[in-house]
Formats: sequence, structure tokens, C-alpha cells
Amino acid sequence: MTQRDPVCGMDIAPESAAAERKHMGQTFYFCSQSCVEQFDREPHSYVMTSTTTGFNPERSLARIELPVSDLPLVRPALELEKALNSLEGVDQVTVNAGAGLLRLDYDPLKVNIARMAAAVRASGYTLEGLQTRLGIENLRCASCVKFIEDELKSTPGVLTASVNIATQEATVEYLPQSTTLADLKHAIETWGYKPRPATSETPIDKQEEAHALEYSKLMRKFWFAAVISVVVMITAYYQVVPILRNLSMDSLRLLWGVTALLTLPVMFWSGSDFFTGAWAAFKHRSANMNTLIALGTGAAWLYSTFAIAVPSVFPEGTAEPFYDVVAVVIALVVLGQALELRAKGQSSAAIKKLLGLQAKTARVIRDGNEMDLPVEEVLVGDVIQVRPGEKVPVDGVIVEGSSAVDESMLTGESLPTSKKIGDEVIGATINKTGAFKFRTTKVGKDTALAQIVKMVQDAQNSKAPIARLVDTVSGYFVPIVMILAVWTFVIWFVIGPQPQLVYALVTSVTVLIIACPCALGLATPMSLMVGIGKGAEHGILIRSGEALQTARAIQIVVLDKTGTITKGKPELTDTVIADRGQWKMEELLRLTASVEKVSEHPLAQAIVDGAQVQKLALTDVQDFEAIPGHGVSAKVEGRNILIGNLKLMNRENVVLGELEEKSKSLADDGKTPMFIAIGGKAAGIIAVADTVKEDSAEAIKALQGLGIEVVMITGDNLRTAEAIARKVGITRVLAEVLPEDKANNVHLLQAENKKVAMVGDGINDAPALAQADVGLAIGTGTDVAIEASDITLIKGSLKGVVTAIEISRATMTNIYQNLFGAFIYNTLGVPIAMGLLFPFFGILLSPMIAGAAMAFSSVTVVGNANRLRGFKPKFSAK
Amino acid sequence: MSNLQIFVILSGIVLTVLIVWYFWFAPRVQTRLTVSATGMQEAAILVKGGYSPDVIVVQKGRPVRLTFTRQESSACSEQVLFPDFNQNALLPEGEPVTLEFTPEKAGEYGFQCQMGMLRGKLIVE
Repeated sequence: MTQRDPVCGMDIAPESAAAERKHMGQTFYFCSQSCVEQFDREPHSYVMTSTTTGFNPERSLARIELPVSDLPLVRPALELEKALNSLEGVDQVTVNAGAGLLRLDYDPLKVNIARMAAAVRASGYTLEGLQTRLGIENLRCASCVKFIEDELKSTPGVLTASVNIATQEATVEYLPQSTTLADLKHAIETWGYKPRPATSETPIDKQEEAHALEYSKLMRKFWFAAVISVVVMITAYYQVVPILRNLSMDSLRLLWGVTALLTLPVMFWSGSDFFTGAWAAFKHRSANMNTLIALGTGAAWLYSTFAIAVPSVFPEGTAEPFYDVVAVVIALVVLGQALELRAKGQSSAAIKKLLGLQAKTARVIRDGNEMDLPVEEVLVGDVIQVRPGEKVPVDGVIVEGSSAVDESMLTGESLPTSKKIGDEVIGATINKTGAFKFRTTKVGKDTALAQIVKMVQDAQNSKAPIARLVDTVSGYFVPIVMILAVWTFVIWFVIGPQPQLVYALVTSVTVLIIACPCALGLATPMSLMVGIGKGAEHGILIRSGEALQTARAIQIVVLDKTGTITKGKPELTDTVIADRGQWKMEELLRLTASVEKVSEHPLAQAIVDGAQVQKLALTDVQDFEAIPGHGVSAKVEGRNILIGNLKLMNRENVVLGELEEKSKSLADDGKTPMFIAIGGKAAGIIAVADTVKEDSAEAIKALQGLGIEVVMITGDNLRTAEAIARKVGITRVLAEVLPEDKANNVHLLQAENKKVAMVGDGINDAPALAQADVGLAIGTGTDVAIEASDITLIKGSLKGVVTAIEISRATMTNIYQNLFGAFIYNTLGVPIAMGLLFPFFGILLSPMIAGAAMAFSSVTVVGNANRLRGFKPKFSAK
Repeated sequence: MSNLQIFVILSGIVLTVLIVWYFWFAPRVQTRLTVSATGMQEAAILVKGGYSPDVIVVQKGRPVRLTFTRQESSACSEQVLFPDFNQNALLPEGEPVTLEFTPEKAGEYGFQCQMGMLRGKLIVE
């Protein structure tokens, strides 16, 4: 049998081989010394056909690299290596902690990836694969589940696979570099099943489906209870029903016996959640709404059944049943839950809207082939083609082409932003005009959109400080209501009017039923959810309930100057020509810009940009020289040009005349003037400045209109700072503040006993943002996850600060309304149910009315929270 | 006052004491998690009308991995929140959902469903 030389590919007999080598459990033979030398230099490259995966047709070992995120950098992962090496078929384990990769050489006939992945997980490490769910049509036989699972698991690149026969879905975790969805679908097809898209991909969809199911289940329960209620009501008010009123007491008791049986399925089917919930809570030594409803209806049913079974024990006239209370209360509370569920669905509309922005597929170019892949399969480093009108699927950097991209959905910038090679594009934005290709930098959960969604969801579920207070109260609420119900019974029984037992029972049941801990519990989270969602819709990411609550009480807003009030980028503002000069304004700018084109100074770019806006043609420059601390000199079109400060002009003996005065007044306005001399004579001044954002003044005025003091903080000198402050209407300026002192200055303002918000760019201002009661970071584009801030304004505009405070105020008002409503409802409802009004007005609440009140009080809370959805900021930050 | 009335009053007092004792003062069953070889403290929690176990004792500074499985369709418990750790998760019915975090400071931290009907406690020692 001949063997193939791995280097030159020649077939040789092992006996006559020039040399042999053993590597990774296999023996290689070589035709010549040069071949073996070449092999020895890089033995691995001859073993593998691919660095990631795949079979080498001539070798029994395969290699795979598994991404493991938490490999220890310092100490070796011995237990992991041991666990993997103990698997039969694993040949070699290489840990590359720096790259977060675990390289495995293994025998695919003896061990599959799923088993190795399980071993990695069992050792406590996290494997990072993609998870996807695939639907399988008509999956009925339980035994096929295992076949499909095994088939999926043996597909190269699959880490785990599990098939759920109940949902008819397979959940597969796989390495996208090794396999594609098409391979997975193929694996399912080999067993004769048809794959289909999973019913729901996102948790939100899943939640919505679950809600829809639960809603229809509740409605079925309600309708059943409602129908029985009507029947039971007729027998309860037999005195007014034509045929029933003529029945004898014995026949009536028989009829009531039937209704007793009829109400049983109402309790144990329609109202089953109350009883199982109450029992589960009881076992945990806690009590909640379920406890109250179960106790109330249970007591009413037991009393009624005793009353008709052994009427003789009861005093005259008290042996009448209350089955109507049981059926009606359960029907109403179930209906209330259904309505609440429906209203809740609307509260998460903001998240749904954000998720809806996500593109579904991407046109990926791999190895020169274009292919449409689901967006989940796009990898970092892929090149993606985007045509006009299409959505950018993930975040990345343009590598070919240019276009205008509409980013309004994320940044609120209404005008399309022009993009060229090297510019960042954000997923979920829409490509308007041109076609381009971009290299992906962030995919999946790392994209800007995914992070925004995650942040909003986390914030929606966080707690406002006020909710903690409510929690403490509601922890005592239910047991207190139970105690009140006990004493209501006792008091009515001891000192109440005849028939005492009936009054005692009805009132205590009413107390149990009217008390509504749900309204209290729902009050804060529902409003918070809508409010934070509303913020997201307006490009304001509120990090937590706490930030939302604090923002309401802000008294001072500190604004960083550069990048917050101003654009943070110098612009050409003035061109002044010398009175007796011979140069026109345009000509002066053209010559200056030609020189500055060569310069690397940041102010130079502003001048060049300014010239380009005026469409001036720049010319070539000779003898360019930068004079540190002074300026630059150069020759353009044969003329000597000097650009620089006063020092440069004095050094070169240029007579400035009235220009010196003009430059001072420009400097007073916060601008940076530069003198220009042509041919040794003063020609003019060109001034650049960091200009104020168009809407800063308006936003500051609006803040002041809300009764908030606005303070500007900057490292600039007082003169420049005051010039800007005057322009935007700020009177209190903290100038010449070193970056490290900004936090201290915020602290000093807090010492005035005021709640202070700080607005900054989130990078230089991080300590000050953290020090402030509320830190607002102005971010643009993809850097949404600014850690130090409590609130991130995705749009670069200061108007976001106003909107954030407005949203905070509106949300907190809504929460207070809810809490007040829920509190008043309970503090009025419970005493009335106890019969407090009876001695004075003879008013007593029917338990059925109590049930209705309780059911609709929580619906009202959710409804009121949803009212927030109509919130409109005073002015749009767009 | 009849004997029956006195009996009812006494029953009322007894019930009140029982309610106060049972819900507030009776000692609760605590589940103490052990630290596995990898340093992880793990627990599986069943969500059905309540959290079982509902009082969980863990050691500080070591990662905690809690796997919640919700076995009811009532929308109330569809979310579990750990407000102090800024952790939360949707719990689809029947699907185990894992939360992982490391408590750094000793203390008692509550966890609950969104509207606070179901409650549990994480005691960090």
C-alpha cells in the first residue's frame, strides 16, 4: 500500500520513504529530505485542511475551534482539559485564552461536538454559539424526536440540539462559522420532516403569544362563569321570578342544591388559579390577591352549602345561600384579569416598535459569493451589500461605495446622513440613495439596536424608589385585610342587627373581596414601563426607575460647554478684510484655505471646510512651514502668505492697524481669530469658533421655563465661556474648570441643597455625570451604552434634556395618580365594606359590587398608565 | 352576652394571633446553596403560585446561578425581577430560564414578579 507524501503529494511506499514523522497520532512518509524539512517547519499546516472545522479526507481526526468566553487568562484551565481529554475520541486540547478559543482535535467517528460542548459546559465554562429555533411540521411521533436530535447533533458545528414535541420545535445551538441554517434544515429533512420557521423568534413575540393564549383561556373561563352566574342569580332572587316564587321551601332547597353543584366548576375551573395560587402562597407563608378571593368565595360557598344542608342549626331566616356571590365575583375578577392582560400588551408597544426596526436578512458576501442569510447568522467581519432602499442589517464600517442613510429611527436626525468609505453605519437604519458594502463590526446582541432594546427592557423592569415603599406596604396588606375581615365578622355577629350571622358573613366576605392589592402592586411598574418606553421612542434612554424618579425633581442643570451646548467642532465663522487691503473676501479665504489644506492643525480643517462650502478651488502650495506657537508660512501662486497669531505678525513686522482691534472683538465673542498677511502686508482676519448647536438656546430657554436653573461648566477661559453663555441665555458660568474638578463643582452645587443634573458627552465628563443626581450623556450613533450616565440622549440635541424631564414628570405624576387611586380605593372601600356607613345611612355593600370594584380597579390602573402613551413632548427634539 | 358571642370573640382573637404569627413571625424554611467545584452556587426554582424554594441563602462574592421554571400560565408570574442586581427575565411557560450574577455585599435582597404578588428572598452571607 502506498502512502501520499503530505508535502509534494507523491505516492510512495512506506518502506522506501526518505523519512517518516509521527504527528498527532498519525504517521507521515516523505519522498525526500527537502519534503520532510518543509514538513518539520509547520507540521500542522499539512495536517489540517481547514483551521476551523471539517474533515480532512485523508485523516481520521477533525479539528474545531469553540468560542469559550470565560477561559482563565492566568492559570491554566486544567479541569477543563482533563474533562475533555477523558472523552473517548478527543485527541488534543489547546486552550487559547487570549483569543477566547478552545481548539479540539478529535475523531468525529468516536465523539461529536455536542458531547464535547457538554463537557465544556459541565466544567463550568460558557460556550458561545448562536441559538436558533426551527419549527418542524407534523411532528407527532415521540420516537422521532430522538432521531432528529441525534441527526442535528451530528451535524458539524452543532453544539446542542433539543426537540420539543409539544411545541414542534427544535432548539439548536451552533457555531455559525461551521454550519448554516440550511444544513440544520437539511438534517431535519433527512428524517422526512418539513422544517418551518419557528412560531416565534423573539421573547417579545413569545410573550405576546402567551398573552393571547392566556387571554382566550381567561375569556373562556369568564363566559362559563358568566352563564352559570345568570342561572344562579335567578334562583337567588326567587322572590321576583314568576315560577320560582311559588315553589315550596323544600323544592327551593333542592334547586339551590343544584346551583351548589353548578358553582363548583366555576370555583375549580374558572377560578382555579385563585385556589391553587392561594394554596401555593399559603405554603410559602405569604398571602396575596388569590388568598383574598379564594377565602371570600370559599367562605360564601361553604356557608351556603351548610345553610341548605342543615337549615335547622341556623337561626330563623338566615338559612339562605349566596351562590350568586361565588359565581359573580369569580366571573368579574376573571374578566378583570383578561382586560388587564389586554391593556398590559399595549404597554410594551415601545419595545415592539424598536424590535420591528431590525432587518430580517442580510446580503452577505463570503468568498466572492453573495448570499441572503438571516440576520442572526451574520458574523463580525462579514462584508455586506446594501442597496438603495434597503435596511442596514447590523453595525459596521463602509468599505466600498457611498450613500445617504436615514438614521432617524435611532438618532432622531431627520436629514439623511451622508456616508463614505470608513464611516460607521448602524443596523436598522435605512439606506436611501447609493449602494455600498460594509464590513460588520457588531452583530447580534452587540448591535446598537440590540443594546438599546436591552437597556430599555432592563430599565422598564427596574424599580423606582417609590415602588420599594409600596412593596413594604403591600407585604403587610393582605394579612391586615384578613384580620379586618375576622373582626368585621366578630363585630357584626356580636353587636349587629338580626339576622346577625348573615350580616356578619356577608360583610366579612365583602371585605375580603373588595381589598385590591393588585392595584397597589401594578401602580408603579405599569407607568414606569410606558414612561421609559415613551422615552425610547423619543431617543431618550432612561437607565432605571430611579433615574426617572430623580429627574422629576431636578433644580439645577449643569451643561458642559464643548460638545453639549456647542457642536464640539470648530467652524469658519468670520472673514474680515483689511480696510486698505487689496484682497476680496473670497480670494483671501481661497488662499488661506489652500495653505491650511497642508496643515494638520484642527483649526485648519475648519477653514478648509469653510472654503469648500463656498465651492472655492484650492491651489497648490510651496515652501509650507509650520512655526510652532505662531502659525504657518507658505507660498501660493508666487505670493508669500503668513497665517498666525499676533506674535507671528509682530515677529514678521506686519503692520496690523485696525485689524488688531477687530481681532479683539472677535475674541470677545469666543472666537479664535487668525491674522493673514500676504506679501508682508496685513490682508485680513479669518476667525473660527466652536459654534453653538442650532437648538441649544431654545432648549435652555425651555429648561428655564420649567423653573430649572441652567449652569454652564467649561475648561475654557471666562471670556470665551461668557460669550457662548450670552448667546444661549445662560447667566451662571463656571469657567476654567479643569476636567478633574468638574465632579467637585457638581458637588458644590449639590451642597446648595439642590438636585443637580449634569449633561455631558459621557467620556470626559464621566466623574461629573456619576456625581450628579442624574447624569445625562449626549451620545450619537452607536455609543449608546454610556456607563456613567443615568440617561442617554441618543440625539445630539439639548432638547432631549427637556423631553427627558418632561417624560419624568409626566410618568411620576401618572404613578402618583395610580398610587393615590389605589390607596384611596382601598382605604375607602374596605371600611365601607366593613359596614362603617351602615349605622348612619344604612348603606351596606353587596359582595358582588365589591367584586366588580376590585376587578376594575386594577384595570383602571393599567388604563391610566396607558394614558401616558399619548404623551407628547412640548417640542420635538427632531 | 351569650356564650356563642363570647366564643366568636375568642375565635376572632385566636385567628388574629394565628394570622400575625403565620405570615410575619413564623420562621421560614431557608434553602442554603452549596458552592460547587467551579465556585458556582446553583439552584432550580419552580414558579407556580410562588417560588419554591423562596428563601435562598448564598455566600457573597461567588456567582449565583438560578434557573427558574414557570409551570403556570397566569400572566402574573411571567417575569422575575431582582431589582437590587438589575436582573430580570421573562419566564415562558415550561422553559427553564437562567439568571446569573454575583452578589458582592451581604444582606437580604428580595426578588419578585412584576407586580409583587409572588415574592422570594435572597440572603447573602
